[in-house]
Amino acid sequence: MSDISSIEELQKLNSIDDLKKLYWSLFEKIKNDDKPQLVICSGTACHASGTGDIIRGMKRYIIENNLQNKIALKITGCHGFCEMGPFILTKPDDAFYHKVTVETIGSIIDATIEGKLVEELLYTDPKTGERYYKQHEIPFFSKQQRTILKKNQNIDPIRITDYFTNFGYKSLEKVLSTLTSNQVIEQVKISGIRGRGGAGFPTGVKWEMLSKQPGDKGKYLICNADEGDPGAYMDRSVLEGNPHSIIEGMLIGGYATGATNGVVYVRNEYPLAIKHLTIALRQAKDVGLLGDNILGTGFNFDIKIVRGAGAFVCGEETALIKSIEGKMGEPRQRPPYPVEKGVYGKPTVINNVETWANIPIIIDIGGSDYAKIGTKTSTGTKIFSLVGKIKNTGLVEIPMGTTIKELVYDIGGGSPSDVKIKAIQTGGPSGGCIPVNMFDIPIDFEKLSEVGSIMGSGGMIVMDERTCMVDVARYFMNFLKGESCGKCFTCRKGTQRMYEILDDITKGKATMDQLDLLEELALVVKDTTMCGLGQTASNPVLSTLKYFKEEYVDHIKNKHCKAGVCKDIVGAPCQATCPIGTEAWRYVAHISRGEYEEAYLALREANPFPSVCARVCSHPCEKMCKAGVLMGEPVAIRALKRFITDMIEPSVYKPVRKIKEDADDYKVAVIGAGPAGLTAAHKLSLMGYKVTVFEKDSEPGGMLISGIPEYRLPRDVLKQEIAELIDENVTLHCNTALGKDITIDYLLNNGYKSIFLGMGAHKSKLLNIEGEDLEGVFPAIEFLKAFNIGGKKLAHGHVGVIGGGDSAIDAARVALRQKDVESVTIFYRRTRNEMPALQHEIDAALEEGVKLYTLVSPIKIVSDKGKLKGVEFIKNMLGDVDVSGRRNPQAIKGSEYFVPLDNLIVTIGDTPDVGYISYMGINVNKWGTLIVNEDTLETNRPGVFAGGDVVTGPNTVVEAIAAGKKAAIMIDRYLNGEELEKPLDRKMPSVYVPPREVVEEESDEEMKRIKLPTIPVERRKSTLEEVEKTLSEESAIYEASRCMRCDLDFTYPEKIRREQQELMQDITQKGEVLV
Amino acid sequence: MITLTINGAQLSVEKGTTILEAAQFLGFPIPTLCHMEGLHPYGACRLCIVEIGEGARAKLVSSCTYPAEEGMKVRTSTARVVKARKMVIELLLASCPQSKTIQDLASKFDVRQQRFKQEWESCILCGRCVRMCAEQMTGNAIGYHGRGETRTIGTPFDMKSETCRLCGGCIYVCPACQLRCTYSDKENAICNGCVNLSLPCVEKDQFKEMMCYMDPCVACEISGTHYSNIK
Repeated sequence: MSDISSIEELQKLNSIDDLKKLYWSLFEKIKNDDKPQLVICSGTACHASGTGDIIRGMKRYIIENNLQNKIALKITGCHGFCEMGPFILTKPDDAFYHKVTVETIGSIIDATIEGKLVEELLYTDPKTGERYYKQHEIPFFSKQQRTILKKNQNIDPIRITDYFTNFGYKSLEKVLSTLTSNQVIEQVKISGIRGRGGAGFPTGVKWEMLSKQPGDKGKYLICNADEGDPGAYMDRSVLEGNPHSIIEGMLIGGYATGATNGVVYVRNEYPLAIKHLTIALRQAKDVGLLGDNILGTGFNFDIKIVRGAGAFVCGEETALIKSIEGKMGEPRQRPPYPVEKGVYGKPTVINNVETWANIPIIIDIGGSDYAKIGTKTSTGTKIFSLVGKIKNTGLVEIPMGTTIKELVYDIGGGSPSDVKIKAIQTGGPSGGCIPVNMFDIPIDFEKLSEVGSIMGSGGMIVMDERTCMVDVARYFMNFLKGESCGKCFTCRKGTQRMYEILDDITKGKATMDQLDLLEELALVVKDTTMCGLGQTASNPVLSTLKYFKEEYVDHIKNKHCKAGVCKDIVGAPCQATCPIGTEAWRYVAHISRGEYEEAYLALREANPFPSVCARVCSHPCEKMCKAGVLMGEPVAIRALKRFITDMIEPSVYKPVRKIKEDADDYKVAVIGAGPAGLTAAHKLSLMGYKVTVFEKDSEPGGMLISGIPEYRLPRDVLKQEIAELIDENVTLHCNTALGKDITIDYLLNNGYKSIFLGMGAHKSKLLNIEGEDLEGVFPAIEFLKAFNIGGKKLAHGHVGVIGGGDSAIDAARVALRQKDVESVTIFYRRTRNEMPALQHEIDAALEEGVKLYTLVSPIKIVSDKGKLKGVEFIKNMLGDVDVSGRRNPQAIKGSEYFVPLDNLIVTIGDTPDVGYISYMGINVNKWGTLIVNEDTLETNRPGVFAGGDVVTGPNTVVEAIAAGKKAAIMIDRYLNGEELEKPLDRKMPSVYVPPREVVEEESDEEMKRIKLPTIPVERRKSTLEEVEKTLSEESAIYEASRCMRCDLDFTYPEKIRREQQELMQDITQKGEVLV
Repeated sequence: MITLTINGAQLSVEKGTTILEAAQFLGFPIPTLCHMEGLHPYGACRLCIVEIGEGARAKLVSSCTYPAEEGMKVRTSTARVVKARKMVIELLLASCPQSKTIQDLASKFDVRQQRFKQEWESCILCGRCVRMCAEQMTGNAIGYHGRGETRTIGTPFDMKSETCRLCGGCIYVCPACQLRCTYSDKENAICNGCVNLSLPCVEKDQFKEMMCYMDPCVACEISGTHYSNIK
């Protein structure tokens, strides 16, 4: 860039005028230099992503092709967008090439020299696919205010000339030439800056206190770079990328307070920071900016580096001081405060790296202008390290007062997967978790502590639904119990005991009493310890208890970890997630070994509807599958289930039947022959009860037959499955409706001792807009039922479907298969990403030619002589994130438009059609669903149980089956006069299925998830043939072998495990593999 | 002089006086464990906590380390203090139940249960021994190792100390330790004098100036070198 590339050519600056002359000469040189420049981030994160190779490759390319005079290369510190590293920024074009590889270097260099862009390598948004031509237009950068971090990208940290050309030491010059020390303190006070280390003490006040201390024995300034929070690295990046700004800040501080000694306390784990700082200190000394008589003004100041051994507690100021003195890093009682008695008993001020980096900016722009940034009580910008379950991991600098929502969704880009964000952890181990429904709060010191967290040094860890909050608290407590200095008994023992209890909870061994004890202890630890570490050590526990207590209770009472994290109670995640506890791992393991009958048995034992679920299950197991959570794509469990149910005859399964002598005395009635009702009937029948099932429609099946179309669930499969369930103990009465033909009292008076209500939810919700009763407008259920049961083809012409759930897709695809239909369009109010329908179903619908219009809402149904003419829609845009973690659609005024339609199907949800039930003495809530005890499924009438959609509202098939199974157990307990509520058993893998023998050498290549075979799209429109086909044996075994076998952790026989451990020991001891 | 009120009673103390000293002067009982007259206050056990400050700024501090300040209002037994103190004793009881001192504390403050997993530790890291060794015996033979849960007290690298004079002062001041004299336990004994009937401490140079807390010491009495015999 400039010709002054090495420090040797810089003369020692003996006066302020020398410095001014240096600026002029440097700017002259830059003016004459118009070479394009490539800026490469060489921060620690980018180093980890391979920036070293890129830099070497670039240097070689430039030298080999003799391009030294055509292009310049600048290696800088961290720019912040660590997710996209290694990256190259070009100047003056400001183009941003992300995830650069060694192969693409050449094209970027060549294009930059020619003034062109390599378009395909420019940053593109992974979600929207939009390409950005300028760095500052990228949302990640455009929404920040990067006063400190932006300097990093202009400065090569080991060249002081770079700092000079970016107006470095200009603030020092201003201070030395125009301001008195009191005026400097005044500026800092006006700026309102508060300590960036976490506690937020006003820096100006601290300085003023120091300046008033007697200075005859020397005063100290300390830069606290002991950054120890897991996941936080902003101080490191500032030190690495711009060490001179710290030096300048400390020089100004020294001038203002009269201190002459500076210490940078940096942890030894930051070698690059230490290296860059050491170089910077030497350079500053060489040019006369450090030492005695700086710039001839008589001002003396020197800085030395003290390396810390990496104790978290040494970030606490009194412990840090002891550490600098060479003693054990252990806090002491304040008062006396360091400002009176600090390092070696001398008055001392300690500020965080970021605070020091802000000082030159305050002097440069003036205190009052600085105070305009941020909020009234928290001024300026703050750097946060945004990590965890977030799309754009990296360092983010925002003005104080920015809401968490803006930080997470606008800058961070939201969740990287389709799993919803649940909470954010701020302030490191001493901070707390803030749940997603509070993301509206502005980030400032007061607000964060109000909600039970702290600003801390600025770590922000984003957590999604797959993060277990108990596990998070346990993790931090584990960290703290090791990092507590151990001086205070309550901190040392308290953190250990809290960890102990948390560990018990995650292992399912704790009681509710222990939970109370945990809270009690946490409060005492917070109250009784000496230093900041102990006083905040309880925050992870207290804040998670405050906002996520239900997760703790879930762990303790139900032995259930919703996030699937706590291994000891989760077992195999697929099994733990399945509402009916299917041992998915077991049948997958059997398939991989070719043991198909065993696989079928494992499946059938848990699920009376294996073939149905093989086709229409929402497969929550796949969402939790470790193969997907850890590395890409989950095992296609549902497809494997399909494979096994297609292959094996149901008669293989011989259920164990109990014989009940007095069965006739205990008749049970089941209302509704849907999945819930039939499951309950089947399970009760196996227990020996006589069950009568009453069905309103002409055929059994409930939603399975009326809601789910034939191309997804062939009728012969369904009918066979149902026929298997109706055995000698089960009697089925169709066309018998509760409320019309029978009543609850009638049943109870006629020998039925218990009743299960499983009527489902068969009434469609309405849009509540004008014209819904017009001819041509159908509620989804009515439309689907007419086709699925009656074979009636109601739709014709241009059909519109409103909604985004599974029944919207079903309705659309059914409509598409009707003869007179010309086009089918789905209208959804949010974007495709937010649609609740199964992804592969949406894909299939689009493949078949269904059109999808998103971000539109209907506002008026337009009629012509009582007939539907069309619908007026309004366009939406995505607004704020709501409680569900989805962005709320907001209507754009004036964007109304008309769509002519012949038919409209409204699929915005269903409710139970049970207006009569309250007359029978059963309580109903305001959403129209039955009120039951969640643990026992019992309604307010003794002996009357309810489950399935009639209780939950529209839900999945597998949840209905689960409710049926549970109801059967409860009815059995009720009829035997037992206590209904009993502690739950943990669903843990218990059967050992040996792992598949590895026959040939497996390649390192990633095994991709199998694609499901389907019939050709052209054939689908004309027939009701099942769309999905079964897997071939070969691909089923392939897919099954992708399973990571989480079960083996629990089932692996002790003997083999021991042998393996011994073998591993041998290997590690001898350093060779014994075969 | 500094004027402060403790539980409503006003008094003036000299600058540098701790809250504990002031409260003891007035006769308010504050339990202590790591505190010992003649040793520097350390603030490790957190038993002597008292409440200072007003309203939202009220906080608990250890009275043995906190200096009295002008106008300070100290409360020594509010509900908050008592609750915290009981929890501290419960934690102590859970770690070191065999200590008579801790048992007495529990009985005095009505702590009737401990709800944690029982441990049987012989050290609560109050640091009395370390300070005794350094400040009174000018030995500096022992100190802390490690931090957090792995913190222990011992000689550097747990090796036999060159500076330790086997005076036993550390054991004498220990509130938890049960091993006043280990007698003839060869592995763990401090001096083993009674086994050899000769005193390891005699080998040290300035025997006559040495202060010793190993009392009674069988070896010392038999060999006639007991300090009471030396005049």
